[in-house]
Amino acid sequence: MVVVTAERAKPRRLPGVDGVWVFIGADLVIFAILFLSFMQDRLKNPATFEASRQTLNMHLGGIDTLILLTSSWSVALAVQAMKRDQIDREPRLLLGGAVTGLMFVASKSIEYFEKFAHGITPGTNPFYMWYFTLTGIHLIHVVVGTSLLTYLWVRSWRGTYDHLHRAVPESVASYWHLVDLLWIVLFPLLYLMKAV
Amino acid sequence: MTTDADPGTSPAATDARDLWPYPTDYTSWKILAWCGPVFLAAFFCMWGLLARNIPPFSPNATPDEVKAHFLELRLPIMIGMSVCLTMAAFYMAWSVSIAKVMERIEGPGGLWSKVEMMGGTITCAPLMVACAFWLTAAHEAQYLDASVVHMLYWMGWLLIDLAYFVTSFQIAAVSVVFMRDKREKKLVPHAVIWWGWVTFASFFVVSAIPFVTTGPLAFNGVISFWIAFFTWFFWIPSLSFFIFKAVDRIKAEDEAAGRVNA
Amino acid sequence: MSVLRERVTWVWLGLVALTCVTTWGLSKDLFSPAVAVVGTFLIVAVKVRYVMLDFMELRDAPLRVRLAFEAWPAVVAAVILGFWFATPAMA
Repeated sequence: MVVVTAERAKPRRLPGVDGVWVFIGADLVIFAILFLSFMQDRLKNPATFEASRQTLNMHLGGIDTLILLTSSWSVALAVQAMKRDQIDREPRLLLGGAVTGLMFVASKSIEYFEKFAHGITPGTNPFYMWYFTLTGIHLIHVVVGTSLLTYLWVRSWRGTYDHLHRAVPESVASYWHLVDLLWIVLFPLLYLMKAV
Repeated sequence: MTTDADPGTSPAATDARDLWPYPTDYTSWKILAWCGPVFLAAFFCMWGLLARNIPPFSPNATPDEVKAHFLELRLPIMIGMSVCLTMAAFYMAWSVSIAKVMERIEGPGGLWSKVEMMGGTITCAPLMVACAFWLTAAHEAQYLDASVVHMLYWMGWLLIDLAYFVTSFQIAAVSVVFMRDKREKKLVPHAVIWWGWVTFASFFVVSAIPFVTTGPLAFNGVISFWIAFFTWFFWIPSLSFFIFKAVDRIKAEDEAAGRVNA
Repeated sequence: MSVLRERVTWVWLGLVALTCVTTWGLSKDLFSPAVAVVGTFLIVAVKVRYVMLDFMELRDAPLRVRLAFEAWPAVVAAVILGFWFATPAMA
């Protein structure tokens, strides 16, 4: 989609492959529906939700947010390097994205194991069902994204990506920023939202 | 089909119909494409509305509650399920029309068009058999122990929900091939292709249904029901719309290349 | 280092700062729950918007697409806060 207007030096465009934005848009709408559904269940169970919320490790959650923000930053810089044909900068920036993705996965795994060790499972109560479901689906998104970033990192060694060949990395980057922004909402929703 | 004469020069060949490998029965092709929306309309109305599956009766219900549900709704469920059992076949017919459009992109020997057709056809099986279980439950509830009715209820849901990967294969095949379309204006646009990927992705979490009876992942929950079913419900008519148009475009391409019946 | 001159770096620093505010600032008991929650979710909406505009590059996207995406954080924050205020205090 390219629209050229008189005032702009460069035309308006969506990065990457057009279709990936349908996927991103759909994912955003689906998660919005899930947030609404979570709040509906919370309306019916405020005491349970608050008590369970307090058992979550908000420090870990906050650190997870910083990890994903840093990951997005690294990937955004990688795409910028591609636009400027700075091919030798690309691998380490993409690797930065992948490694921080792995750090998030490790952190979440630790958090889940801690819960299981305390006998807490998705079946324990509606809050924990939502906690495991929302963070679990998000975690699947992170695993997929980290795998894609790893693939891009390997391909970048061979100088595959430059200003003329960046549709795939831009698409992956856009997806990765989606993953980051979903966590930006999920973390306060589950960990920080105090009861009245 | 071999003759001694060179087929290009024999008098019979010049007015011979060039039928292979292109289907020239464009009318049947479009009728089959219509089978998709017809299936959806029948399934939505009969299974969804009449038999009260939008949303489904709670997985958390006790055997007595399930039996009471089937006794109370006996006639609507019997009508809805018997019509669905029959109409499920339209999904198979629809999948053939899609496969033939896919073959125009990957060639008549293409693999993905066959996967699509198989996936679409086998999808009928869990739909038909699950409807048969629920039809039986409604038909027989008055004679059955509540635990047996409960079992039939769950058998239907476990089957219809967990056999999703045949449909996933169908959807993936469609998206993969239509992404490879080299036409300037693709036969099926990006939005529909990527909606297919959204639908594909939405099915996986449904695997949780045996393990939960409440919450978003239960078979009546926001994720396993509302999102998983409605992404698929939206995929069917949106793809169908572009398949109809594709048949017309292909017919025009065939005419321009001199490949139609005289 | 030239990275410091990039817009994305400044956006990242801002997002990190806002994360620290919500996680370790507003969560403290000296803020009432209403102030903490409203403040947090307004910040969430701002963070999401910056990720969309500067990381996802929607600043340069066709206007209708950009507006549709920008509507998301606004709607999501509004819905969440609406439900929060409608949720009764615990007995």
